[in-house]
Amino acid sequence: MLFSEILHLVRLNLIQNKFKVFLTSIGIIVGAATIVCVIAIGRGGKADVAEQFRNLNAGALDISYEQSESSGGAGFSFGGGSEGFPGGSERPSFSGGDFTPPSGGNMPDFSANMNSSSSSGKSGRSSGGSSRSGGSGFPDFGSMFGGMFGGSSDAKNTENITLSADDMDDITASVPGLSEATITYTTKQNIYGGNIEDTESYTIAGTLSNYAEISKLSLLIGDYISDADNENKNKVCVLGYNAAKQIFGSAEDAYDSLVYIDDRPYNVSGVLAEQGTVESGISADEAIFIPYATGIKYLTGSDISPTITVIAEDVDNISAVTENVKTVLAANYPNAEFTISDAGSKMEAANKSNETLTLMLVAMASIVFIIGGIGIMNVLFVSVKERTQEIGILKAIGGSRKDILLEFMMEACCISLIGGVIGVLVSFMVSPVLTSFNIRMEMSAAGAGIALAFSLVTGTVFGFYPAWKASKLVPVEALSGE
Amino acid sequence: MGTEQIISMKQVRKSYKMGSEKLNVLKGIDFEVNKGEFTAILGPSGSGKSTLMNIIGCMDTLDSGTYDLNGTPIHNTKERQLTKIRNKEIGFIFQNYHLIPTYTVMQNIIMPLLMRGKDRKTAEKECLETVEMLGLSKRLDHKPAELSGGQRQRVAIARALCSKPSLLLADEPTGALDQNSGIEVLRLFTKLHEMGNTIVMITHDMNVAGWAERTVRIVDGEMYQ
Ligand SMILES: Nc1ncnc2c1ncn2[C@@H]1O[C@H](COP(=O)(O)OP(=O)(O)OP(=O)(O)O)[C@@H](O)[C@H]1O
Ligand SMILES: [Mg+2]
Repeated sequence: MLFSEILHLVRLNLIQNKFKVFLTSIGIIVGAATIVCVIAIGRGGKADVAEQFRNLNAGALDISYEQSESSGGAGFSFGGGSEGFPGGSERPSFSGGDFTPPSGGNMPDFSANMNSSSSSGKSGRSSGGSSRSGGSGFPDFGSMFGGMFGGSSDAKNTENITLSADDMDDITASVPGLSEATITYTTKQNIYGGNIEDTESYTIAGTLSNYAEISKLSLLIGDYISDADNENKNKVCVLGYNAAKQIFGSAEDAYDSLVYIDDRPYNVSGVLAEQGTVESGISADEAIFIPYATGIKYLTGSDISPTITVIAEDVDNISAVTENVKTVLAANYPNAEFTISDAGSKMEAANKSNETLTLMLVAMASIVFIIGGIGIMNVLFVSVKERTQEIGILKAIGGSRKDILLEFMMEACCISLIGGVIGVLVSFMVSPVLTSFNIRMEMSAAGAGIALAFSLVTGTVFGFYPAWKASKLVPVEALSGE
Repeated sequence: MGTEQIISMKQVRKSYKMGSEKLNVLKGIDFEVNKGEFTAILGPSGSGKSTLMNIIGCMDTLDSGTYDLNGTPIHNTKERQLTKIRNKEIGFIFQNYHLIPTYTVMQNIIMPLLMRGKDRKTAEKECLETVEMLGLSKRLDHKPAELSGGQRQRVAIARALCSKPSLLLADEPTGALDQNSGIEVLRLFTKLHEMGNTIVMITHDMNVAGWAERTVRIVDGEMYQ
């Protein structure tokens, strides 16, 4: 039989059985749409993770310190575990050996006291507890408790510790296998300049010159903060992409302009390229970067809680590096527990949960396809008697098995292809809806291709099987339609 | 050429398995048909007429015995070859028409020619004469469901005739028709016979059998000439 005639028959059958074609297709449509969506969601999740961690170095360790809020129940162990003193009459002399009275020692103001204790780089090594009460002399609640239950409690992080560049140097000096280290802090400041009418609050990040490289920030225009800027405490800044747009309208306009941070003018030395949303760290697009020392001098004093970031040369070495960092810090701050988070394991965890999600979705898609396949089979088996008889007629009037199979296969192919194409179209219509529910989807040609291939295979297999079975019968058997 | 044999059957047996029992339907049939003959096979219901007809039409296998069609030993022929024989040598008219419901009258009629590898245009041309003879010219674009029983039977006959087979087989061609339509079909058969066609017709009706040139009887799987 001529192939063109077979195709003609296929056309006749499809047109004649529109409703059946539709019923058969539904399973395939749903299945194909699901597959496209599942692949898109999976890719979206991956892209999400990749994007969120784009500025993270796999070997990066973030070290930060968080002072415990509930100092009330905390036991103070002055100077490293010496017995507590009842009452609030502690003097700085109680502190550990190398405690040097901070400049703020005679400041009665509590918060200033905090700053002062952290401002002296080495003072961290002394017990913050003593420095807190030091100078002020007034009985503070926490140390009273500390006195009463001194040493008996193992609560930590009640001290006021500010990590410093010295700590960073300590770590880089003592921990082998580090390629880079940097220290940063952020603060909120009111700024004006450019198109800002009044003032607006922006995140200001105090960074060293190597921050851009470590965080994989690239510049759209200009240069990042230099070592000289930091040493000379220059009032320069680098704007995040959105910050530049919001303040000046564009990166070009922002470049070499002045931004007033806390009423002091900073020259914009560069604008970053757009980074997108990030999972952790500073969201660079909205931030303003200034030299580390400049910020301390003009903006924050030492009222900061910086993060030290070190980069392990070898990502596989990260746990050893983490331990070493802990050891170094513990030697300096025996009673403090630092938050050390490594980017690699964060990424891994995110990727894992993402993979789990994808796997779950794939399982769901498989179920949909199986159900769809059963649906197709149902529809086809209902019409099998009819089709078997048709095959019997075709055989009786001399149709070869090859021709008959070809016709039925082309029919099944067409139905599943139609279903697949509609399914893909449906998925493209559904994706904006899902996206509006905050599900990130990355539609792809590959996803559509896989869905089409899947529907073609499913439809053809399920649709073709009855025909294949019928074509094996002797004509009379097929004619009787059983 | 009067005695040229088209069908030559010897001791043909056919049985169906009914559970554990064997139902012998054909019990050693000897049957011959010469070229140009119009033969009626007459027998009561359940006597095995259709079973025999299906074997003659190369649509069913036989258990034992021999069957030669135009000199070809059908009992030794593979299905693939039988398909070609059905297409070329046999025009089968079924008891219940067996038209394909989704196709038009014309599409149904040309199917055997299409299966021979002809294209639609050629096939339609070749069928025109037959179509006209059967008075179907005005019904070519209809679907079988839109036709009367007699018209359907004529479509089935047209389909069988168009491929110009050497043997025309009709299983109860009048079975589903009223008397007038039945007589019309039988007149047509007589005409076809006169045109030189070899016809084997099955019926349980003595009157219908009377239209044939020769009648054989089949009772309970055995044939009486
Ligand atoms: N596929 C089959 N399986 C089992 N038994 C069958 C089958 N086909 C026919 N038979 C049996 O064979 C016998 C003969 O059947 P057949 O159809 O040849 O009868 P028939 O002479 O054509 O009858 P009718 O005039 O009613 O058409 C019947 O008893 C029938 O039950
Ligand atoms: Mg019968």
